[in-house]
Amino acid sequence: MSHSLRAATFVADAERTTWHDETLWFVRQKRDKAVYAVPEFQELRELASQIKEHTLSRLDEYLKQFEAEAQLNGVHVHWATDAAEHNALVLDIIRQHGATRIVKSKSMLTEECHLNPHLLAHGIEVIDTDLGERIIQLREEAPSHLVLPAIHLKKEDVSDTFHLHLGTEKGNHDPQQLTEAARQHLRAKFLAGEVAISGVNFAVAETGGVVICTNEGNADLGVNLAKVHIACMGIEKLIPRLSDLGVFTRLLARSATGQPVTTYTSHYTKPAEGREMHIVIVDNGRTQQLGRPDFRASLKCIRCGACMNTCPVYRRSGGHSYDFTVPGPIGAILSPNIDMKKHSSLPFASTLCGSCTDVCPVKIDIHTQLYKWRQVLAEAGEIPTAKKWSMKFTGRLLASPTAFGMGGRLARTGLRLLPHGLTHATTVNAWAVARELPEPPKQSFREWYQETVKL
Amino acid sequence: MTTSREKILAAAQANKPAETPLPNIPDFGGDASVERFTAVLAGIGGRAVWVEGRGQVEQALRQLFPEARLVASPLFAGTVAVDAQTPTAMLADIDLAVLQGEIGVAENGAVWLPEANMLHRALPTITQHLVLVLDHRRLVATMHQAYAQLPGTGGYGAFVAGPSKTADIEQSLVIGAHGARSLVVVLY
Repeated sequence: MSHSLRAATFVADAERTTWHDETLWFVRQKRDKAVYAVPEFQELRELASQIKEHTLSRLDEYLKQFEAEAQLNGVHVHWATDAAEHNALVLDIIRQHGATRIVKSKSMLTEECHLNPHLLAHGIEVIDTDLGERIIQLREEAPSHLVLPAIHLKKEDVSDTFHLHLGTEKGNHDPQQLTEAARQHLRAKFLAGEVAISGVNFAVAETGGVVICTNEGNADLGVNLAKVHIACMGIEKLIPRLSDLGVFTRLLARSATGQPVTTYTSHYTKPAEGREMHIVIVDNGRTQQLGRPDFRASLKCIRCGACMNTCPVYRRSGGHSYDFTVPGPIGAILSPNIDMKKHSSLPFASTLCGSCTDVCPVKIDIHTQLYKWRQVLAEAGEIPTAKKWSMKFTGRLLASPTAFGMGGRLARTGLRLLPHGLTHATTVNAWAVARELPEPPKQSFREWYQETVKL
Repeated sequence: MTTSREKILAAAQANKPAETPLPNIPDFGGDASVERFTAVLAGIGGRAVWVEGRGQVEQALRQLFPEARLVASPLFAGTVAVDAQTPTAMLADIDLAVLQGEIGVAENGAVWLPEANMLHRALPTITQHLVLVLDHRRLVATMHQAYAQLPGTGGYGAFVAGPSKTADIEQSLVIGAHGARSLVVVLY
């Protein structure tokens, strides 16, 4: 199913679509306010971009350095080429400790690998502890945004879910009280957690440590109470030096939500006395993307979500319409690398306005890559037949001045003479679904010019 | 048999682009004043309180948290002793933790809290309320300056900026998600 078909379900509720659009635009405005308050913000973006490019250009060496330093810190380092290997490794560590109660903080990588269903299938209880993630876990849904996983839901939806699962008062929609109910519910899970799984925001090659950024404190509470910490990271999370964090911590939260920094910026370097720390380093298609010169810059992404908050298509189609772990513009350039056939419609879910590129804190040329993926997809025969032939036909028409002039005359006359019901028949003219065609002019610019110059 | 480690490293080496330089990061300067720190901290839901000297901290806390029953602190005699071995059930009952912060960052209200100052790694998040005590001479303007002053990150350490919070329900800001419900920075 294509993005536009899935989006059709979302936009069917016009009121909710407008609300979604406005809410994310509000987040974008908060981002702008935070960004404009930092005079050197554009310099920081350039630095972040250069640091990430440099890291990718020496990725194998930094991975080895990171591993060696982490091992010196007493951390167990594991490597997984794909999702299946990652899931097997994590399950194995959990089993070695005979654990069944797992608390997990936010990690898009474990979403990408579908770790939760794998653990559940093996009798392991895994609780997502980020509030938004817990909400969608209870509803058995996927996250619809990188940092705001439940942004597609209204407080009434959350209230119903909590009433059903946590026994909160029916019809109580107060976010304060709903959050308090989740706090109490999840405290019990934190206290009982045997193994804590987390994602990684940054992995520092120089120190062998990982940095996790949260607002809720769920990563810290989970990890520091459990006997075992498993941190799962993609190979692109590396940065060379501790001082590089100065740049990234100044960019991340400002770009994501407009906060000056996340509440907790936590540095996990060594396990506590008598406890264990594991880091699972995952490829899952990333080295393949590294080998695509036009698309490798997508690996610079720090998962802030700014590109989706600003995207006119994402805001009006919702995260689930992308049907990929990472939605929005960045998801649309990451997904074809994973499965070109399945995600072939995503690079077309864009107006190519470039706003994503403008707000990206690490200067990924997102809209250029969207455009380039379209060429790749067309050449690979992964675009719908109607689109392929209409593009070919339009290409020929626009290349021939005679055909173009005739076509214009035909359209101007046709639009005047044919009935509205025919020219705006939505079965043949998708453009007219929610739009009026313009009033046809009497003559084309070319005709006017020829007349005027003759005079 | 090739291990996954070797496969990933070989693929990274084969597919990486030509080497580009690692840039130097300038200092950028900035405002490191108590006023700036106080205003930013208030903006993220925290609160800065000024006392004349470190000796005044305990008295100020009694005024700020008159109802705190179980108080843990390495800075003065609290009501509950906490160390790295303290069982989870005991930690879960703590009302207030008072810990020494090392560096304050004026641009974002964050305070560096190293493991050595925490008593237990979970204490800063499991306590209902958190107080960080900070020498005002340890304020810096930006995160660059904070990292430049860090001797290292130790086994564990965190920049803590305000109380735990969430906006996951319809973008409504709620203070007190899973970690501390309130954060006061006592500056001296």
